[in-house]
Amino acid sequence: MAIMSQIEGMIKPAQQDYAGGLAPVDNPDKVFSDILREDYNDYIENFREFEKRLLGKTDDTTIVDRSRINAAKQRRIAAGIQRRNLERYGGAGLSQAQLQQQQRTAQRGGALSLANTLNNARVRQRAMNQALLQEVIGIGQGVNARALEGLGTAAQGEVQRRGAYKNAKANYASQMTGMATSILAAFAI
Amino acid sequence: MGKPKKSTYEASEVEKINASIALADKKNFKENYLPKQKEFVERAEIEADSLVNRAEGVAVADTMQALTTNPNKRIVESVDAQADMAVAGTDQLLQGTTQGVQAGIGDQVTGAKMVNKMASATATGLSQASKIATTDTLNRAKAKNVRLAGNIKGFTTLGTQMGKNFDQYRAAEIYNQTQENKPDGGNPIDLSTNPFDIAFGRGIKIT
Repeated sequence: MAIMSQIEGMIKPAQQDYAGGLAPVDNPDKVFSDILREDYNDYIENFREFEKRLLGKTDDTTIVDRSRINAAKQRRIAAGIQRRNLERYGGAGLSQAQLQQQQRTAQRGGALSLANTLNNARVRQRAMNQALLQEVIGIGQGVNARALEGLGTAAQGEVQRRGAYKNAKANYASQMTGMATSILAAFAI
Repeated sequence: MGKPKKSTYEASEVEKINASIALADKKNFKENYLPKQKEFVERAEIEADSLVNRAEGVAVADTMQALTTNPNKRIVESVDAQADMAVAGTDQLLQGTTQGVQAGIGDQVTGAKMVNKMASATATGLSQASKIATTDTLNRAKAKNVRLAGNIKGFTTLGTQMGKNFDQYRAAEIYNQTQENKPDGGNPIDLSTNPFDIAFGRGIKIT
């Protein structure tokens, strides 16, 4: 009970009739259809191109491309760091042969590193592209479902109108026949 | 029994306020929330590259800091020192690139889902509007047919009565023919020759 009175104290009653000040809607049917048309136009204008660009990214190669560049950059950075470290230790007592061996190992390592990195990058890129593909397919299924719903509604409406028209024609013919028969019978007696 | 009044079929107060509030909500969405949706989608695309750069930068900075802080002389002397550093850095960069691309694509997919949710709501609304329009069309046609049926019934009744009036007139004509041969002229019925009088039951004059 104490909590309820606390909550009631926190909720402030509105000081103004905001709902009363809203504009009246004279033709809700027309306003509804106008708003829907506007919504669709907004969606196409603002978001359709973005969707198309996203759909194009299922064949993306960003990870592979950047890995190629990064591997080369890292080799250069590592070489620079090693050079500075060697300077720090005054050559670290390495002979020319040892320095050359270090360079050869670095080059071989660099090539292997690049191959390894690219392989890993391709695997990860494929996984990413597949995951994106799954997502866009999921989104696409939603698009398909709502398209079918819309067409179904349109088809249903068409069938209803066609049926109503056929019935109306049949009733009209029946009534006209009835009228003619009654009048002829009345004159014939 | 009076003519139906339009006022009897006016929207109730609750229907009117429902429509006004719904329109105000729609306006609020368009002015305040739709721009945010647009901003999210734009930002997801624009920031995709910077996300990758940031993730790579963090990955390589962390790695280089770990590898180059107080370098051990034995490690510096090692033949594999430079190669190992390059490999470690490249591996971490690949991690960073993957994370950055994943984050960017993730944002864009979220944006696409949001946009499609909005499009689905529009499509549902369109289906509903279509059903309403079909009902309206059928109601108008039904009302027209009811009026037409009423008119046909009216004409049938009129036509049937006209037939009966002509029958009575013919019967009177036949009776007059029987009266012609009587010596005193008989007692013929006074008949009108006007076809309209005959049709509307005034062909036989009652004296």
